[in-house]
Amino acid sequence: MKKKWYAKLVVGLLSATLLLAGCGTEATEPTTEGDNQSQEPTTLRISMGLGESEWQVMKEKVFPQFEQEHNVKIEAVQIEAADLPKKLESMDAAGKMELDLFTQDNMALAPLVEKGLVEDLSGYRDMIPDEILPSLTSVGEFDDKLYFLPYRPNVEITYYNETKFNEAGLTPPTNWDELLNVAKTFKEKEGIGRVAIKGTLDGNTTVHLYDFIRSAGGDPMVLNDEGSVKAYTFLQELYPYLSPDTKKADWNTMNQYLANESVYLGQNWPFGVNVIVKDGGKEEIKAYHGWEGPVKESHVLGGEVIGIPKGSPNADLAMEFAAYLMSKEVQEIFVSELGWPASRSDAYGTVADWQKPYFEAVDQALATAEARPNVTYWADVEKATNDAFREIVMEGKPVKPTLDKYHDVLEVAKNK
Amino acid sequence: MVKGQENDRLAKIIRILFWPTVIMVLFFLLVPVYIMVKVSLSAPEDILTQHPPFLIHNFTWDHWIKVFESGNLWEPFKKSFTVATTTTILAIMIAAPASYVISRMPKKVKYITILTLFLTRMFPEVGIALPISVKFLELGLLDTNLGLVLAHLAKELPFIAWILVGTFETIPRELEQAAMVDGASRLTALTKVVFPISLSGIAVAAMFVWLDSWNEFTYALYLTLSDRTLPLQTYYYIMRGDWFQSAAYATILTIPVVIVTFFLQRYLKSGYLSGAIKG
Repeated sequence: MKKKWYAKLVVGLLSATLLLAGCGTEATEPTTEGDNQSQEPTTLRISMGLGESEWQVMKEKVFPQFEQEHNVKIEAVQIEAADLPKKLESMDAAGKMELDLFTQDNMALAPLVEKGLVEDLSGYRDMIPDEILPSLTSVGEFDDKLYFLPYRPNVEITYYNETKFNEAGLTPPTNWDELLNVAKTFKEKEGIGRVAIKGTLDGNTTVHLYDFIRSAGGDPMVLNDEGSVKAYTFLQELYPYLSPDTKKADWNTMNQYLANESVYLGQNWPFGVNVIVKDGGKEEIKAYHGWEGPVKESHVLGGEVIGIPKGSPNADLAMEFAAYLMSKEVQEIFVSELGWPASRSDAYGTVADWQKPYFEAVDQALATAEARPNVTYWADVEKATNDAFREIVMEGKPVKPTLDKYHDVLEVAKNK
Repeated sequence: MVKGQENDRLAKIIRILFWPTVIMVLFFLLVPVYIMVKVSLSAPEDILTQHPPFLIHNFTWDHWIKVFESGNLWEPFKKSFTVATTTTILAIMIAAPASYVISRMPKKVKYITILTLFLTRMFPEVGIALPISVKFLELGLLDTNLGLVLAHLAKELPFIAWILVGTFETIPRELEQAAMVDGASRLTALTKVVFPISLSGIAVAAMFVWLDSWNEFTYALYLTLSDRTLPLQTYYYIMRGDWFQSAAYATILTIPVVIVTFFLQRYLKSGYLSGAIKG
């Protein structure tokens, strides 16, 4: 009797667990496009990296019209920029591409092209509207081939704590001399640096280094020209007055340092406005476009682009959706509902009152934004510029010989 | 005499230092957990300041309410719970009999078998996660609980087998032999004698597997597209920079861990694992 009871228990548990384990959501079978009206809606699977409020706008204001017009059901999934290459790589290797379209941070495109994970869209150049800002198209080009379509521009803005600046009798710096003065004044006044740059020696630092080098008239891909020497020399001078948080400051922690007032001045992407001001209630944190260097003001053009993964089950429909995302109508929704700058010169919208000063800062910074060169040896470029920063700025090594060394490193990488 | 005095002095020092050391260790272990809970229950002005207070000054449920209202909690919670529990049950059902057999093998064979089991654990997870995931995707296991359970089993089975071999080794063979002399079959001896005695070891192994599967991240990242597990959900909130909701998610992620550990902690005695160390 007891034996039977045990056997029943084992069989019961096994069945229950297998049943439970098997009842996950089934992967969507790719469907073919057909007659829009008479057939079941086609499922278009797309990925984006968005916050909660951004998803809400997409699902309520952007997707429905396209779904209705094309008899499509959009299934949108969240994939962060850093995870997209891994996901696409595994799907590509398995021969089962589950995504039709993705949007991706334009700072993370090289691995996708290098690994052959995206479709060549050179044949679709004509579908980019004339009103799209020209610099946004070049972001998606590698070796004269177009792999990505423009989606939305982005640029770092400069955040500062207005209360602390007023208390110290300072104004936000507009050039390098003023920046050095602000950093020195806070350090002298409080005994600790209150100005930070992103010094995590990765892509975060690269963006800042590009801004400094270009605004001194240098070319970061050369790295030992006059402008680059000026930029690294200035950073070497500035570094002792910076906040100790500099070494840990990245796109995420910079918001935290500004919000908890361990940093009074720092540059970051505009999403920080929502995190610091809207959610954190720190209304004293203001923003402006930033400072100029000895030659000009320059900011790295960030943002996102649209890509079609190799083997996309509904590539044609995905291209139609891409065109829809670039349309004036959708770009105006982005401006009005999300406070994103438009990628088209003819798209206007009204942002919420509280967002206006920040939106203006983004607009002004975008006016001096320059795209990063797209090269497949980008990882080498990033490493060289950051290694030079570590040696010169953090360790105090001589500027010119160190930059000469890393110039040679870049030349080797270029000719690999 | 002198040695006795030294021993007394040592005992006194240990007695004096015992509680301060315990308190200090506990403090360092618990403070991060406390901060996590505190951030999830504090108004922003408590946290976003140069000198945040240690205690909660402005209590709020707002962040928890947002998490509950987001519609992004129950599905990941259910998925994580289902996968962790299924993995644990299957792991015990597969590993317990296997470990018993291994524990009764000749010493040299046993040693080689255990080493072989651990071969699969010698590679970094991120390195083998991609090829394993590719195979699973080929089998259509993307976004399925079954896919994650199988991936977790591949990871957990060697570990749980290692623990259970040690547990079964500590049980004298004479007990089974006595049962068999009394007419029990080998299977009856195993289920009626060996397993009940080794229940503590099995509970410990189950707890480790459940916790590991509950917190697992790498395979979940590869094998999930739309149906996220709770650790993935927490990760996405952290990546979006929302400190308060991230803290609320992380706290929710921790609650089942605390409950499971609380109920199984009485089995957590070093003696239950000592056999495993003997290997």
